[in-house]
Amino acid sequence: MTALPLAGFVALSSALFAVGLFGILTRRNFILVLIAIEIAMNAAILNFVYFGAFASGPGGLTGGAIAVVLIGFAATEVAVGLAIVLALNRLKGTINVAQANELKL
Amino acid sequence: MSVLGEPAVSLEEVAFLILAAVGLFTAVSALLVRELVHTIMWIALFFVDISAIYFLLNAPFLGVLQLGVYAGAVTVLLLFGVMLTRKQIFSREATTGIAPAPLALAVVTFIFVVTAVGELPQSDQTVHSYDPTLLSQNLFNVNGPWLLLLGLLMLGAVAGSIYLVREGRE
Repeated sequence: MTALPLAGFVALSSALFAVGLFGILTRRNFILVLIAIEIAMNAAILNFVYFGAFASGPGGLTGGAIAVVLIGFAATEVAVGLAIVLALNRLKGTINVAQANELKL
Repeated sequence: MSVLGEPAVSLEEVAFLILAAVGLFTAVSALLVRELVHTIMWIALFFVDISAIYFLLNAPFLGVLQLGVYAGAVTVLLLFGVMLTRKQIFSREATTGIAPAPLALAVVTFIFVVTAVGELPQSDQTVHSYDPTLLSQNLFNVNGPWLLLLGLLMLGAVAGSIYLVREGRE
């Protein structure tokens, strides 16, 4: 049993989300964009976990359950993103997102 | 109660502040260093830090899951991505600098979300722990459909990934 400030957690996860958003918008390397997405996603999952931890009753467990599912979603998303990186690298010879300007792979 | 009286901040708060600082620092460093392999090392540290926050929140199952899935699998996947797409693994990225417009957007987002803190109920109630037994019961009863959906999505992702990287398509 701990007494932690909820505001601190909100500040942390929103700062992490802002860092991830900044990375998604500025980085040109596809792998760096994936990493930035992961940072933003981790901030979102953190939100679920601590809002669930501060909630009382059975709703608290739902936060943890959603976090489990979301961690699986994020791992899946990285795997598909990596497949896109490999296909892009074979097709264009680079993984610069600025050159991935066609929808056709 | 110690001889010196009640301390102003609890040990958990100090731990949280340290973990939050480390998390922010590693996230920012991961995006700002120029060697891609160093980025992956920073992001691995970031994932371990987030897992420590889960342990701090009395969610040991989520912490272990974060360690296994993120710090283990995702980091290795990203490392494979780097190894398969470059001839030399250690090579620098062209620096992209800090563009003002995305930075402003990120700051605005941060401020917008943080102002929501005032709307939150001022809860000084204690954190309840995520008991792994109760959590798994919840996962397989109430939230069972989501777990099934996750399995279906992973199956689709496997099929899609193989389709994307299969040989002989030009």
